[in-house]
Amino acid sequence: MKLMNQFRQSPYYGRLNSILKLSVGQALIGAACGLSAVAGNSFHLNPLVVSTNIIADRTIKGKVTDDTGEKLPGVSVVLKGTTIGTVSDADGVYSINVPDRGGVLIFSSVGFLTQEVPLGAASTVDIKLATDAKALTEVVVVGYGSQLKKEITGAVQTVKSEELKDIPVSQVTQKLQGRLAGVQINQTTGKPGQGMAVRIRGQVSVTAGSDPLYVIDGFPITGTIGQMNPDEIEDITILKDAASTSLYGSRAANGVVLITTKRGTPGKMAVSFNAYAGIQKVPMRGRVKMLNAEEFAQFKKEMYEDENKTVPKAFENPSEYAGKNNDWYDALLRTAPIQSYNLTVSSNKENMRTSLVAGVFNQKGVVLNNNYKRYSLRMNTEYDLSSKIKIGFNLAPQFVYDNTPRTDGDRGTGVLFNALHTWPVMPIYDANGQLTKYNNFPQGTGNIFDYPNWVRAAKELTNETRINKLLGNAYVQYNPIKGLTLKSTLNVEQESNKFFFFNPSTATSAINTPVPTTAVSIRQNYQNFSWLNENLATYTHSFNEKHNFELLAGFTQQRFRQEFDRITANTYTDDRLPTIQGAINIDRGGSFNVNGISGSNTFNGANEWALMSYISRLTYNYKGKYLFTAAVRADGSSRFGSDNRWGTFPSASVGWVISDENFMQSIPKISFAKARASYGVIGNNNIGNYTQYALVNNTTNAVFGTTVATGAQVTSLSNSKLGWETTKQFDAGLDVGLFNDRIQLIYDFYSKRTTNLLYAVQVPQESGFSNYNDNIGEIKFWGHEVSLTSRNLVGKLKWTTNANISFNRNKVMELAPGIDRVYGTFHITQVGKPFGQFYGLVKQGFYMSKEELASSPIIPGRSAIGTIKFKDVNGDGVITNGGDADDRTIIGSPFPKFTYGLTNTFSYGGWDLSITGSGSQGNQLWVRHLYSTANLDGVFNMVAGAKDRFRVKNGVNPVTGAVEAQTVITPGKGMYGATNNGGNFTGVERDWNSSHFLANASYFTLKNITLGYNLGGIKSFFKSARVYASVQQVYVFTKYWGGPNPETSAQGDGQGDGGNLSQGVDLSNYPVPRTWTLGVNLNF
Amino acid sequence: MKTKYIAAWILAAGLMAGCGDKFLTVNPETALSSNNFFTSESDFKQAVNATYEPFRQMYNERAWVLEEMHSDNTYYARNVLYGAVDPTENVADFAVPTANGITANDNVLVQYRLNYRIIARANQVLAKIDGVDFDAKSKANLKGQAQFLRAFAYFDLVRLFGKVPLHLVPATGRDDAPLPLASTDEIYAQIEKDAKDAIGGLYDKATQEAGRVTSGTARMLLANLYITQKKWGAAETLLKEIVTSGQYTLMPDYNDAFSYTSANKNNKESLFEIQYMEGSAGYNGNQIYRFIPSPITAAEIAPITGTANPQQTSQESNNIPTPDLIAAYEAGDKRKDISIGYVTLSGSAVENKTYPYIKKYARPHAIHQNTGQNWPVYRYAEVLLFLAEALNEGGKPGDAATYLNQVRTRAGLAATKAASQADLREAIFKERRVELAFENKRWFDLTRTGRVKEIIGAYGAKVKANPAAYYFPKGAVPPPNAFTVLDDYYGLPAVEAALTPHF
Repeated sequence: MKLMNQFRQSPYYGRLNSILKLSVGQALIGAACGLSAVAGNSFHLNPLVVSTNIIADRTIKGKVTDDTGEKLPGVSVVLKGTTIGTVSDADGVYSINVPDRGGVLIFSSVGFLTQEVPLGAASTVDIKLATDAKALTEVVVVGYGSQLKKEITGAVQTVKSEELKDIPVSQVTQKLQGRLAGVQINQTTGKPGQGMAVRIRGQVSVTAGSDPLYVIDGFPITGTIGQMNPDEIEDITILKDAASTSLYGSRAANGVVLITTKRGTPGKMAVSFNAYAGIQKVPMRGRVKMLNAEEFAQFKKEMYEDENKTVPKAFENPSEYAGKNNDWYDALLRTAPIQSYNLTVSSNKENMRTSLVAGVFNQKGVVLNNNYKRYSLRMNTEYDLSSKIKIGFNLAPQFVYDNTPRTDGDRGTGVLFNALHTWPVMPIYDANGQLTKYNNFPQGTGNIFDYPNWVRAAKELTNETRINKLLGNAYVQYNPIKGLTLKSTLNVEQESNKFFFFNPSTATSAINTPVPTTAVSIRQNYQNFSWLNENLATYTHSFNEKHNFELLAGFTQQRFRQEFDRITANTYTDDRLPTIQGAINIDRGGSFNVNGISGSNTFNGANEWALMSYISRLTYNYKGKYLFTAAVRADGSSRFGSDNRWGTFPSASVGWVISDENFMQSIPKISFAKARASYGVIGNNNIGNYTQYALVNNTTNAVFGTTVATGAQVTSLSNSKLGWETTKQFDAGLDVGLFNDRIQLIYDFYSKRTTNLLYAVQVPQESGFSNYNDNIGEIKFWGHEVSLTSRNLVGKLKWTTNANISFNRNKVMELAPGIDRVYGTFHITQVGKPFGQFYGLVKQGFYMSKEELASSPIIPGRSAIGTIKFKDVNGDGVITNGGDADDRTIIGSPFPKFTYGLTNTFSYGGWDLSITGSGSQGNQLWVRHLYSTANLDGVFNMVAGAKDRFRVKNGVNPVTGAVEAQTVITPGKGMYGATNNGGNFTGVERDWNSSHFLANASYFTLKNITLGYNLGGIKSFFKSARVYASVQQVYVFTKYWGGPNPETSAQGDGQGDGGNLSQGVDLSNYPVPRTWTLGVNLNF
Repeated sequence: MKTKYIAAWILAAGLMAGCGDKFLTVNPETALSSNNFFTSESDFKQAVNATYEPFRQMYNERAWVLEEMHSDNTYYARNVLYGAVDPTENVADFAVPTANGITANDNVLVQYRLNYRIIARANQVLAKIDGVDFDAKSKANLKGQAQFLRAFAYFDLVRLFGKVPLHLVPATGRDDAPLPLASTDEIYAQIEKDAKDAIGGLYDKATQEAGRVTSGTARMLLANLYITQKKWGAAETLLKEIVTSGQYTLMPDYNDAFSYTSANKNNKESLFEIQYMEGSAGYNGNQIYRFIPSPITAAEIAPITGTANPQQTSQESNNIPTPDLIAAYEAGDKRKDISIGYVTLSGSAVENKTYPYIKKYARPHAIHQNTGQNWPVYRYAEVLLFLAEALNEGGKPGDAATYLNQVRTRAGLAATKAASQADLREAIFKERRVELAFENKRWFDLTRTGRVKEIIGAYGAKVKANPAAYYFPKGAVPPPNAFTVLDDYYGLPAVEAALTPHF
């Protein structure tokens, strides 16, 4: 009973009490029903003895408060070595009679660090208890419930919002970088609100998605959490193994992220205001070093000279460009402000708990004309209608506005990529200081890809998205009898997304497009609506206070519908009126690929799916020492073939709290030890909505004479047996606490096999079809994860270190029958090898001399002195790219050997300091821009390293009489070859995929440093205040040379193929800025 | 009381669980599925229409690479600024890398796949059309089109590859997607059967909607097959049927035999044209832009394309008429200036900077890179030349000359002087070269007459001896492997080979 009291006052109480995740049902019901009614039998009472029958000599009084000065009721106060003790009252005040000789008082409470205070002469002992964030008595939200952390048998990790509060970023996943073992989070682009790739346990799938399932307050949402206000979040739990996720069944295979939003906290009304403001800037370091104007002119001059050709007039005298460089990349960037304001109000009145978070976030991007705004509100309210019935409502509306220039992508779309390529001799501004329209150097200078002005493109194109979102939950919960809870929930998610693109006639983001160009508008809208109904029953019971059971059973239904439409129009007479009616053409045919949106130009459609499930879980423990959980979910899905509609996903897990055994008491250094193991089957249903059907497309039109005739064709093969991807996962883990939990260590090993991969099995197109959707193939994954928390110093100066490291491996065991490899443009996925490896020729330098050329394997007709030399892998004496005599081989991997994170926090008096970093080791990136920025034909601007290329002078071959590369001027530095002989020769280095394009992308990024100071309270104004300064994306330690962001990974290679099979391509995306901010937290 | 509430809750939850199968069946809303398609005349008409669709891409991008530039009629002109375009140059250079009957050449792959796309769509129609009841004449006409298109695609395949898989029913899954290679004779037999069936069902030119194939087109296809098979008598019969049908005649002016972007389409001389339509709807072609030499400035391109918004282009220049072809026109041949024009490129790396280009497809149009003229597949002129050939080979050289001279007369040339069977054979062969220049006929003329090694061998030697005459910039030469692959058939596409156990 006393423990209940303590628990009720712990910070977890409010949240648990209001969301009622049920698995601690009994205790919670107790809380709801009033303390006197409780028999908290799923908790294990500390050996707390309360006694007042010893004759006492004096009385010690005092007040117990927490870190923030809030009174703490229910704290147990015991005189060490005796049975004398008491408990603090509702105001945190205690009074205890102790013998005159004194002694040591022990203060303890759930969720706080136990503290011992030697008694002196004073009769008043006030004490402040420090929060124990890592306490093993912590309660953790798990799927369809919550559990004492101590009793968890799966691989689960939780991050509290307090740990993330100062990080000035728009997305919660950015805040999580480096914090979680086994979860790789990469920021693939610096675009505000976008581009976070979250992969739990190295998850990949050939075609089904790899993103985890996000569950907000029990509601599996249908999108991502990229637009969610991070300040609404109380904590985040990552479910990694099959036992933890199996209750999410066919959606669980990529892992599950449970997000719990803020609830009414205990005590009286609390108001807090958090704000920060700062500036963002792209550091110079890490940018691709390009030739400046003079160097470029020099390159062009030398290129013509080496080939004995007339140097075009524009490049005769490179020094005329000295000091007249045009840095097109830099011209697109700016220093930009970022601001965030959040107001949180929480109250906990009798019969009603409520919490409100209102947020405004405004980020100007570091690329010109980029603007991101978010207005959000969340209201969570819960009412006790009676002692047995409670109802709750959560409502979270949100509005997001985003205008981002077309920054990312290759030649057709990305201004940043294009800016790198633009000749630095081309002026950004004309003589009058106005932006140039279109740079066309004469073709005779080698300018065949004329360049529009990218600054104009960034400023004048509209590329905006407006999102209105609403997330709502309503639930009713009923506790009819002791131990039984019934709960019904209705969740809705609504999103309206309006995209508008306008390319006026005055600018374009595509290379080689003259200005004025054809004005184009695209309007795309989509509406998503999803509802979920869940009905859960939970029953808890204990026998003899030893055998503790919890049984969960439930039935859920969810339905999702999306409606979308797009209208593309072109040719405007007036750029000021980009309406549909203002366009001369509505674009109906063909397809577009603008801003990542592709498909036919004008269309509408709908997407829908339905899911129906039964869930059940049994949790049993014996004295909280021997733990067992079994769970099962059955999912019926509209996505599965009509002959294969239901999937069953069972799991089981066991745990043993070794430290509770008597024999462990003799090893006091080990304060906690638990071993756990789990096994389960989970699925991935991201297989598309109508994949099972043979669809008929009726836009395959023909023309007869001057008439268009509608044509219809069967576009796919049907498969009524199509199903989910199945993952069987084993996990074994060990949780250890040492030195009274000063050091906590968590280790996990996992091994999983994914079978029945959704695979569009390529079939020969002699059938008229390109593929057949089937469940086929197998991938094996395994890995190790270690997390360490160490409270290095606990005195006045406190220092805590959190570190984690993860090793993820995978291997393709089987693809489709008869297929042992799948090629991408730069990648190969091959049986027996890890997924999606880089594939190409092996660069071995350059042919240095005639002799070397004569004695080495060459590419007939395309090798010369100074051209790239590849390894003759098959030893046939000839270098061949593709075909039967292929010399290509696996040359690298986009997957790291390991990833890691490190956070150090310090506090001293009112000061606190936190330093977070994350890193990745052993992965490579494909430097995509090198195809063109190291195009030795000099049609684009080039990387600065091209200065140190191989140089050779053309001459007449005395034997054949042909003009060819003859005498070496300089062998250069070994990175770039000679320009002579033109495209047929230089094209080998440029066009043949090889290790030339690979760069080591290992990095360690100092993600965040925050220094804060607690001002304390000012009476009648605010209770406490803290100011802080923070730097985000402080420094990237890396040898990566291909661009500023070694975390980048295009999903797709810009050459047509995309998705999981072709990760790790650097498409010169939006750089991640460094952000300096000043912030304040005020509590009223 | 409590029990009642619990029971009600369980009942409510249970009720919702009851309607599972209905809840879980979600049909696509914006696409039809094959279960509810193929149920009416309109469905089959749409399915037949879609069967024509792959031609647009095929004749815009690939057919001329494999069937015209792979001959002594056209070559490519290297634009050094653009870099190498290996797959296409390899075809022109007779250097397509081929090993064990397989090649990775992209043009080969795309042409192969587009043909099978036609075949698969025709198979869908033919598998289901007899099971649906509607107007018999219309059904026969639709069926005839599907049979023709299937036969036409197989005829292209068999002449390009010799042996290919023979799909006659729709594939249903992974197992029946790949089929074994059928022999040339088996494929010929199927083409013959389909073409004969099609002749019976198709409307004639007078009745058929312009642009669709007709019974005349099917006769021409079958005659073409017989000529390839050297079945001269059978060919003669069919070709005479076309001539005596009275539905076709030569256009008085050779220039009018070819359509403009909007006018003159499917004219009296036309038996079959690939249909294009100018405009933004996406049914256009842009062949001439693929053929124009470059780098070309806006001012230089304007007179050729006649658009209001001429733009410079820089690309690989393909399908450039060879000096050999130009020399093959007799003096006074009107067709020469209609077929071939010249342009001087200020930005060219070639010494005299002047190139010939294919003028007969350079028709004025409105929008840059967007043309609408049809591509001729079978013209009445070819009917006459085939008939002349069939008669000559059938031992009737006298009759043959009559038909040959009809073609020559329109070209402004005197009657042929050839009289012997051998001389006339050569005369017809040469007449076909210039009359049908750039119409994707030359390569198949070389293969069916067995003259690849003879003619291309000599042509290759000339290119190597004088690269400058074949548009190479000064000092540049053809690659060392040029003119080393002189087989009658292309290798089968490597990407497809990787997916089938049969080759």
